[in-house]
Amino acid sequence: PVLPEGWSGEKDFKAIGSISAATQRTIEPVGPHFLAHARRARHKRTFSEDDRI
Amino acid sequence: MSAEEAPAQGATPGERVAIGISFGNSNSSIAVTSFDDKAEVIANEDGDRQIPTIISYVDGEEYNGQQAKQQLIRNYKNTVAYFRDYLGQDFKSIDPTHSHASAHPQEHDSTVAFTIQDKEEGEPSTVTVSEIATRHLRRLKQSASDYTGKQVNSAVITIPTNFSEKQKAALTKAATHAGLEVLQLIHEPVAALLAYDARPESKVADKNVVVADLGGTRSDVAVIASRGGIYTILATAHDYEYAGVHLDKVLQDHFAKDFIKWHGTDPREDQRSMAKLKLESEATKKALSIGTNANFSVESLAEGADYASTINRLRYETIARKVLDGFNRLIEGVVKKAGLDVLEIDEVILSGGTSHTPKIAKNFAAIFPESTNILAPSTTPTAINPSELQARGAALQASLIQEYESEDIDQSTHPAVTTVKHLTNAVGVLSITGDESKDCVPARRTIHINVPKEGGDVLVKIVEGGSHIKVTKEEPAKTNGNKDDDSDEDSDDEPEERREKIWKVGKVLAEASVKDTKKGGKVEVMINVAGDLAVTVTAREVGAKGGVRGTLSAP
Repeated sequence: PVLPEGWSGEKDFKAIGSISAATQRTIEPVGPHFLAHARRARHKRTFSEDDRI
Repeated sequence: MSAEEAPAQGATPGERVAIGISFGNSNSSIAVTSFDDKAEVIANEDGDRQIPTIISYVDGEEYNGQQAKQQLIRNYKNTVAYFRDYLGQDFKSIDPTHSHASAHPQEHDSTVAFTIQDKEEGEPSTVTVSEIATRHLRRLKQSASDYTGKQVNSAVITIPTNFSEKQKAALTKAATHAGLEVLQLIHEPVAALLAYDARPESKVADKNVVVADLGGTRSDVAVIASRGGIYTILATAHDYEYAGVHLDKVLQDHFAKDFIKWHGTDPREDQRSMAKLKLESEATKKALSIGTNANFSVESLAEGADYASTINRLRYETIARKVLDGFNRLIEGVVKKAGLDVLEIDEVILSGGTSHTPKIAKNFAAIFPESTNILAPSTTPTAINPSELQARGAALQASLIQEYESEDIDQSTHPAVTTVKHLTNAVGVLSITGDESKDCVPARRTIHINVPKEGGDVLVKIVEGGSHIKVTKEEPAKTNGNKDDDSDEDSDDEPEERREKIWKVGKVLAEASVKDTKKGGKVEVMINVAGDLAVTVTAREVGAKGGVRGTLSAP
């Protein structure tokens, strides 16, 4: 949508809420994408850190 | 995976030769990955890719697979079949129905055993189900070793989703005794999904998948959420009433009744006649999955009389209707159990031997909307052979992890798996469909949105959303007298219900503005949800530098 008149936010960003609901579930330890996830989890890396390697 | 610690033979990762094994009650198969990471199901020395899970002894000689299956006619007492589900069970909890026509399971200490004459001379021996499984796996391992020319020493084995820890431990132990280090036990439906996702032409996508594993003695259906290539099982169902043997039985009864008409005796009352009837019915069923006509003929079926007949597919589908409808109810039930609607299913994977039946795929196609991919040989020309999916998935997983130390596999499977939160609502940018819910966090998605034609400043609104099923009733189309005759069949009197999936906008999470976008440009919005549910939003115009970046704190 087009920016409405008079909209402002700090550094052009306005935080309004945070994510409300999440449930604990079990993922399947299978496949290349899981292994990448497990690698990040074990080294406590984030996506962008992982991308750089 | 607790049972995986300290594998007996302890091969170092570099020396591993790993294969994928699908170990079923009725059939097993083995798969290897070639140098270019393609999985291939390999044949045993009989030339079978689907190797019957049967082991038989004649004069002290061991037979397995198809050769053992033939022994069900003459030598059923020394033939063990349908034993996979007895592993790790006590005698009271097993269902021995399918073993009536072969060696009977019996109680032995805390486990199940069989009394068979497996030596040339002397008394019959009591062999535990664990030992039977070991012998079977040893034969599979030998076949794979002969094929690859290398000594196979490790494997990834597929298991049903409802296998208990005790059953897993028993299977691992049996495999270890057969000289196979179990790298990992993976769930059958997930293996099937992996086999499809690993194909070079498939893209990683967020999708809901139903895997229908229709086997010989049981049918298992699972609903899996695939997000960023990571799989989460949402619901499963297991059924022992609607499976391949029940389709076989339909044919057995059909031909037995016909035989009675001609000869007056019921071949189902004699053990040997029944065994012949069973084997040939299964062969006829398989032929009906390929052709529209099939022969059924048995030499000396009962009382020395030969029997030959034919059946066409249409007739078979009519007499098997009750069983076929059972599969429909099973798949509908599990989608409901996952809290989803058929409209929310993107893919249905048919796996297992019974999935070759064309009518089953056709029925499923009728249940799901047209947009749903039904992956079966009769509906999708590029579908993978349903019988091979699990072994392929296992082989792919084996090639991925065979370089790892077994400690690493244990560590990264357990804690990493369970401590993951899944979003219940979708998060997305207003005016387009958002990211799917049931995403496991941390997750990251990037989307491109067209800016309004004239360019200028753009407001990006990040919201939560949920999908709903909207039901609208359509008035029956008005028809004039002329057209009435030929449109009679497809226009019912009831107003037709139209159901569609819509997105409902939930809580607004953030707003961001991107200034001075060019005409016809695109805005890239990246939303990153961290493990603690903090959200980072980055918005910038494609091609431009800088952009807006903001963070929402964790709740």
